Amino acid sequence: MNRIWRIWKTTTFRQSGFFVLLFVLFSVFILGYIAYQTSILIQQQQIGAIDRELGQLNRTYQRSGTPGLIRGVQRMADRPGPGIYYVADPTGQQLAGNVDQIPTFVLQTPGIHSFRYEVEEPWSTEQNDNDDERRERDKREERPDRGLALVKSFQLPSGFYLVVGRDIEERRGFSAIIFEAFGWGVLWIIILSVLLGTLLARNILRRLDMISAASKKIMTGDLAERLPLTKRNDEYDRVSKNLNEMLDRIENLMAGLKEVTDNVAHDLKTPLTRLRNKVERALQHDDDPEQMRKALQATIDESDQLIRTFNALLLIARVEAGAPDGSFEPVAIDQIIEDIVDLYQPVAEDSGIELSTDLATVPHVKASRELIGQAIVNLVENAIKYAKGAKGTPRIEIGLEQHAEYIRICVSDNGTGIPEKDRQRVLERFVRLEASRSETGSGLGLSLVSAVARLHKGTLEIKDNDPGTKVLITLPKES
Amino acid sequence: MKVLLIEDDRDAANYMIQALDEVGHVTHHAADGETGYAMASSMDYDVLIVDRMLPRRDGLSIIESLRAENNTTPALILSALGAVDDRVQGLRSGGDDYLTKPYAFSELLARIEVLARRASPAEAATTYQVGDLTLDRLSRNVERSGEAITLQPREFRLLEYLMKHAGQVVTRTMLLENVWDYHFDPQTNVIDVHMSRLRTKIDKGKAQQLLHTIRGAGYMIRE
Repeated sequence: MNRIWRIWKTTTFRQSGFFVLLFVLFSVFILGYIAYQTSILIQQQQIGAIDRELGQLNRTYQRSGTPGLIRGVQRMADRPGPGIYYVADPTGQQLAGNVDQIPTFVLQTPGIHSFRYEVEEPWSTEQNDNDDERRERDKREERPDRGLALVKSFQLPSGFYLVVGRDIEERRGFSAIIFEAFGWGVLWIIILSVLLGTLLARNILRRLDMISAASKKIMTGDLAERLPLTKRNDEYDRVSKNLNEMLDRIENLMAGLKEVTDNVAHDLKTPLTRLRNKVERALQHDDDPEQMRKALQATIDESDQLIRTFNALLLIARVEAGAPDGSFEPVAIDQIIEDIVDLYQPVAEDSGIELSTDLATVPHVKASRELIGQAIVNLVENAIKYAKGAKGTPRIEIGLEQHAEYIRICVSDNGTGIPEKDRQRVLERFVRLEASRSETGSGLGLSLVSAVARLHKGTLEIKDNDPGTKVLITLPKES
Repeated sequence: MKVLLIEDDRDAANYMIQALDEVGHVTHHAADGETGYAMASSMDYDVLIVDRMLPRRDGLSIIESLRAENNTTPALILSALGAVDDRVQGLRSGGDDYLTKPYAFSELLARIEVLARRASPAEAATTYQVGDLTLDRLSRNVERSGEAITLQPREFRLLEYLMKHAGQVVTRTMLLENVWDYHFDPQTNVIDVHMSRLRTKIDKGKAQQLLHTIRGAGYMIRE
């Protein structure tokens, strides 16, 4: 019962029901119209034929008088067929014809009439019945021996009544057959549509039930569950596929969130513990102002580093959440690189690093100047750390290439490089390779670069520079 | 200097009032937006320190209303929101500077002193002079005791900024913001290296040092 109710409630079922209704109404209208027009046409033809016969009989009467007329009527009446002929004297006494009785109102008012009459039946008690009673009984009994007549009555100048007509019971039978067929057709259409609608609705319901069962599982926490797909690749599969991709993204984000929470616990707790230890030690040295001053300075440095880590985390979160609309403006990437080289040149020189650029002229791209700048700064700072380990003269080169669809920023160094197995891992938050553990840094630098690249619909790749590392940021020209 | 601090955090406010008092600034305090706005519009202050998120009325709307009344008292916005677009929004509403929490007091102090000075009309000068060091902003000549000093364009802008705020502490982030126009926080001591180069060019071999490092705060150029 519940299931039927659910099928009844589906959109598909209701829509098919609606269309059936529409179809039936339309068919009734069309068929009704045709039937109506046809019956009018047939009636006109019959009246035409009746007029012709009346004219013929009228001419016979003029030529040969009353006896001729009676003979003519008798001749016509004797012919087999649906013809109705009747002639009576001015008193209403039948003289000839194939009908026993004609209602008096037909005789008295010349013109076209339609009435029920007795077919080949002897005189009965009904003789004096009036028409209303008869009609009543017709409805009740549907007597097969009663015909329906369409007649035209006419009074001759001599006072004789002449009635010519057709039995139209046959025609009514014909219409009845048409209407019966039509009724059956409509009935079948309704039955078939209900069946089809139910079937369709059930199919759809089954698909949706599968999807909703899967999503319930996901909602209860099983993020690895996916919506079922069929081989049909229909609209449901397309929606499911999109939802599955969304779930992949959610799963990744959840995994990322969990990882970040773990890492935050570790990477923020560690410096907090150090901070606490330092303050504690400072308190132990409260007799020595110089020691205390040093310890306090160290706590400030430590807390500054913590704030930096925290800011970096927040910035990554902001960048990953997407940029607010309209915050991007056309920026000259080459100008940003030149600014940064200008900023870092002295530091590089002091560390004995050759910092050079190879910049192609590129069109402005829609981007966030601050974020792109921050990303390049992070890469340069990393490169400075790694280049120090170079054999020979440490070098860092910042390149800018123009391609048909995209531009590419390339920061390369000839330092120790990143082992291939770690190249993907370093993009994750808080990942710091053993080699750089001793350096200051939060382990968030490359995560931010990666997030910035994604925000600009670009990509970040880490490649081997043999020796050293080459980091490529690819940005689409039109984003 | 007369400062109005609009800040709802009692501890932070007390700490700041005390610290500003120690360096000789008179500070009035308002603990919510409405009171702060009433005080700012009825009294004369040299600088306003406005927290962005306040009870009863937020900081940005206070500054917007003051600016609409042609009150040009320089305002520094304090905020826990630090993203670039938040900063832009803060400055667009009429704030003159933007500082993200948590901040070092030395940074705040340096910034409000620069802000208070900015309000005075002296800044249109075409030449700056500190002791025997002169900088001509039009011809871009720098001389020390009559001797020309050759500076890179960026070094010139660094010195120009320092001399414009001669006698005031200028922090590293202020230099990065005003000379390079970036708001990020470099991990390495890039600014220090630039400053040491500049110092070599203007102070090396001179009896009087003009460029001073202010411990825990930044730099200052003075006689």
